[in-house]
Amino acid sequence: MQNVLSIIFCLSLFYLAVTSRVKTYVTVLQLQGIILTVLLLYPLIEHFSVPALILPATLFIVKVYLIPKYIKKILLDLDIKRIIEPTIQQFSFLLLVIFTMTVIFVASNILSKSTGIETIPFASGFSAVAVGMFIIIFRKKLIIHVAGFLVLENGIFLFGSTIASKLPMMIELGSLLDIFVVVFLMGIALNKISSTLSGFEVTALRRLKD
Amino acid sequence: MDINTLLQGIIALLAILLLAPLFAGVINKQKAIFTGRIGAPVVQPYYELKRLLRKETINAGSSSFISDISPAVNLIAMVVAAAMLPVGFMKPLISFEGDIILFAYVLGLARFFQILAAMDIGSSFEGMGASREATFAVFAEPIFFFTIGSVAFADNLTSIYDIYHSIKLNNVTYIVFIVVCSISVLILAVTECSRMPIDDPNTHLELTMIHEVMILDNSGVDLFLYQYSSYVKLCIYAIVEASLFYPFAVQNSYVAVIIFLVVIAALATTLAVVETVTARFKLKFVPQYLLFATAIGVLNLLIYTFTK
Repeated sequence: MQNVLSIIFCLSLFYLAVTSRVKTYVTVLQLQGIILTVLLLYPLIEHFSVPALILPATLFIVKVYLIPKYIKKILLDLDIKRIIEPTIQQFSFLLLVIFTMTVIFVASNILSKSTGIETIPFASGFSAVAVGMFIIIFRKKLIIHVAGFLVLENGIFLFGSTIASKLPMMIELGSLLDIFVVVFLMGIALNKISSTLSGFEVTALRRLKD
Repeated sequence: MDINTLLQGIIALLAILLLAPLFAGVINKQKAIFTGRIGAPVVQPYYELKRLLRKETINAGSSSFISDISPAVNLIAMVVAAAMLPVGFMKPLISFEGDIILFAYVLGLARFFQILAAMDIGSSFEGMGASREATFAVFAEPIFFFTIGSVAFADNLTSIYDIYHSIKLNNVTYIVFIVVCSISVLILAVTECSRMPIDDPNTHLELTMIHEVMILDNSGVDLFLYQYSSYVKLCIYAIVEASLFYPFAVQNSYVAVIIFLVVIAALATTLAVVETVTARFKLKFVPQYLLFATAIGVLNLLIYTFTK
């Protein structure tokens, strides 16, 4: 089951690499949130306990409901254009993603021989980290940078679930809160930027001085 | 090969050749219904083929012998490719180790001749279509090898019949693997048959970008051969796709034929839905769409290499 979810996760990464609409990014983030929630819920089928439900429930609320809703609100309020404005062609971006993913899969297969990690979930998580970074590097829009950061975070969450069998729940909850606050701050910053500068592109920020 | 297998292979091939236009007709009918029209009858492609057969064949004055042989080569290549596909349980007429490569390149040969013939006519418009077909073919070929190849790789098989028979839908990961494969094969089918997100089969002449452009100057029997081979091609890709979901574990041949028909019908509906809800892509987006399918194939191959 973990493998199946990881495969769907990887497909969502490919989709992020080819899509050119801001809204699709939000939808894919929601999908990834659902995948991670199912991943956390799946072990509960065998060993059910109520406290173990807290983490998946919080994850679902934060990643599938709150953050996407907030991003959509920002998109609407600030009237952001719906095209993502990449700095390199989508085609080259996708090639880069395929290449990176191949390297990561091969590398994690080598790693899995010496350590106890599971190749596919680990490699999918690692790929998400790489793709998140690429999104931040190769897109102009600030709001997409936030999405890239969230993809990166999802990746860390996915491979975190494969390396350590049990992270303390408080840490996981804390990190979720952290992400939400970061996105929230990002929104406030975007609002401030919009009142000072007209565009939301990173290129416009070069003019900023202290 | 005993007489029984031979007979089965011939029946399978005849079924593909006779029912191919019907498949296209079914898709068009469903598309019409989805868009709120009554639509042409499902046997309309047969009428059109019959009409073309009665017409005179005229070739451009600048064309050479390539234009004369290309339609026939096209159809023969399609028939050979169709003879390699398993329909239901029937063992195909042509089946040997490594026929997956032959299958891909027989289709490639057909495309090569069509491109040559389009350029042979000497019209710049057809040259443009030929150039596009060649460009997209470059991106479409890896899809086939990565997806069908990854299924082949999983069990170390190289014959299409054996590859499809090795699929057993009893493991969740494997089912997802097959579903993922089927997505990229669907994209391949849509590309190779010049259907909706890539090319529009309905608009003739100027608006159509790829396949219809290349056969613009053909008429009569030549056009008949081209149209008929494009129907057969659609049917071939439908079977390539449908066979992925075909439960070969079922050993009753009557049930098998029914399941096969159901899967094909479901595929026709899928194609009709896709064509109804999507608009044609801008040409510059097509390569990345195809690369997306290749990426899925690469992912499949990676997954299967590392979970083996």
